[in-house]
Amino acid sequence: MKISHKMKIILLVPIISTASGCASLGVEPWERDLLAKKEMSLTSSAIDSAFDDHIYFSKEASSGGKGFGGGGCGCN
Amino acid sequence: MQLTQNKPNKKVNVKLALTAATSALLGLSSVAQGNETSELDSWSFDTAVLYYGEIDRVTATEAMIGATKTFDDDSILNLKLTFDALTGASPNGAVAQPTTQTFTRPSGNGEYQTPANETPIYDGFRDTRVQLNAQWTQPIASVYTVSGGVHLSKEYDYLSLGLNGSVAYDFDRKNSTIAFGASYFQDTYNPVGGIPNPFSVMIPGSGDEDVDDPTRLGKDDTKTTADIMIGFTQVINRRMVAQLNYSYSMVDGYLNDPYKRLSRVNANGEALDYVYESRPDSREKQSVFAQTKYNFAADWLNDTVLDVSYRYMWDDWQIDSHTVDSRFYIPIGTSSYLEPHFRVYQQTAADFYRPFLYESDDELPAYASADLRIGEMTTYTVGLKYGTLVNGDDELSFRLELYTQKPTNAGFNEPGVLASQDLYESVNAIIGQVTYSF
Amino acid sequence: MQYISKISVLVTLLFGLLLSISSVAGETVTSRQALEQALAKHKGEVVYLDFWASWCVPCRKSFPWMNMVQEKYQTKGFSIISVNLDADYALAQKFLKENPASFSVIYDPKGKLAKHFKIQGMPSSMLIGRDGKIKQRHTGFFAKKIPQYQQEIEKLLAQ
Repeated sequence: MKISHKMKIILLVPIISTASGCASLGVEPWERDLLAKKEMSLTSSAIDSAFDDHIYFSKEASSGGKGFGGGGCGCN
Repeated sequence: MQLTQNKPNKKVNVKLALTAATSALLGLSSVAQGNETSELDSWSFDTAVLYYGEIDRVTATEAMIGATKTFDDDSILNLKLTFDALTGASPNGAVAQPTTQTFTRPSGNGEYQTPANETPIYDGFRDTRVQLNAQWTQPIASVYTVSGGVHLSKEYDYLSLGLNGSVAYDFDRKNSTIAFGASYFQDTYNPVGGIPNPFSVMIPGSGDEDVDDPTRLGKDDTKTTADIMIGFTQVINRRMVAQLNYSYSMVDGYLNDPYKRLSRVNANGEALDYVYESRPDSREKQSVFAQTKYNFAADWLNDTVLDVSYRYMWDDWQIDSHTVDSRFYIPIGTSSYLEPHFRVYQQTAADFYRPFLYESDDELPAYASADLRIGEMTTYTVGLKYGTLVNGDDELSFRLELYTQKPTNAGFNEPGVLASQDLYESVNAIIGQVTYSF
Repeated sequence: MQYISKISVLVTLLFGLLLSISSVAGETVTSRQALEQALAKHKGEVVYLDFWASWCVPCRKSFPWMNMVQEKYQTKGFSIISVNLDADYALAQKFLKENPASFSVIYDPKGKLAKHFKIQGMPSSMLIGRDGKIKQRHTGFFAKKIPQYQQEIEKLLAQ
């Protein structure tokens, strides 16, 4: 599909503004008290996820897609 | 020298025994005298039991024990052993009829019957499975995290071996993380009665491996699954973190369900015979996943955390799905919590899904399956989890969930007698779990 | 009507004045002043300045070592000054109860000192030489780097 020059600029603007917006996201290393809490980890419970993933894989047609690190206390 | 609080003797002995046993098993250096407390602190154990029970259908019990050791260099080893036992009945793919139906058992030895006006189900499964997982995670140069693991799972008719690996990079004062992961699984299916010949007609007495059987292709078959995933995690502010992932999966090999068939019906919806199903020998899946966690930390909401995620999956079988999953963590006092859970799932049918075949079709379709698992459906899960600290920092939790699966008609006619049958029976299940971590 | 508006302006001004007085009075010593005082007290000594918080797991691991090192090198002119960055004072106290510190603690709940020293991660530490200048900076606490940390301290003590 041919994208005109004008279209390219229109498409780039939200991407660039999101990316530069991303640069202002985040906190200082000493402001991670809430993020360090166990309940703020992206995987609420690895044990529950493992059981649930097995159930839903057996009963439905979709699986996976989630579960990577990041967030948390950011220590060391 | 700093000593941590000693916990009640009985529990320390259990943990010490488990630590010593696991260390010995792994060939790790035995606990040095006087270093027992810090050695114990570097180990943590998880045990859990789950019960899954569908009304009138499948029930499963799973038990898991896991051990996690954190080494001095902050690397982590996790070992997990899981057992599960499955019993009960599953639909065999044929449609309900106003008369009794007779089917052959997968083993070929004998038959079973389905009463009139009931969904044909096969009740013969008694399966136990053992699974072993080992995962190693290593932080490198403070900004990289590398992880690798193996998986082994064995049940009566199935063997699965797998490897996984991932690399994550933190940047911008660890506010951002980019991660890349890959996994590879090799599975071997050795179904009772051998691999059925797709679309062959079910013949009573078939499945005997000694006899040259036109309905059987062989004893076993394999499938491989290769996955890659890219993820991006961003701390939004002091209370919020978000993640965005993209996954690609390629499955190749034997993808049929050897125990499932389709009814071949006449113009009046009456079943004339039953044929084994046939699926493509590859499946390419992709998904995008977005999740956010928000800590309210406001006085009246007191450190509650809202977790919302959405996944969109699409594949080359023309199945599309949407999953919305949400949890709300509510702390109670300083040592307990309640966590309600709500999940909604919706999928479209595979392009070769059909509830039955017509005998009058001049040509068989390339592929066909009546497995509701790849049909159109909506499912709902509602649950509640309660957790509390016991004995210091051990955690005990209870989880109860209700799962309902509602298959729907993706636009197929229901001729003749089928109009008064329920071809899309809902399944309701209860899930109960107890977890103890120490 | 005019009286009401005049009185409300006066009340607002008075309220604002009271608030500002109380905030100044409440914070008897700022974290910056506390650090300057502590550094002045240990002038000519080697100072290990450590930034920690109750929610930081490696911080918990660093306390036993810091207690040990404080005792070991104290007579040679070595001191540890720690800066706590918990926004909630109660959490810092709970941590100290479970992990007692034999070294001094300065409270910096608003993170002003952390920002001034441009802390890049938790925990963070700095070694200040006898001349009062920062000689080493560390981000994170790694058990396997303990020999290296001690070597750095000994090198500065020898000066």
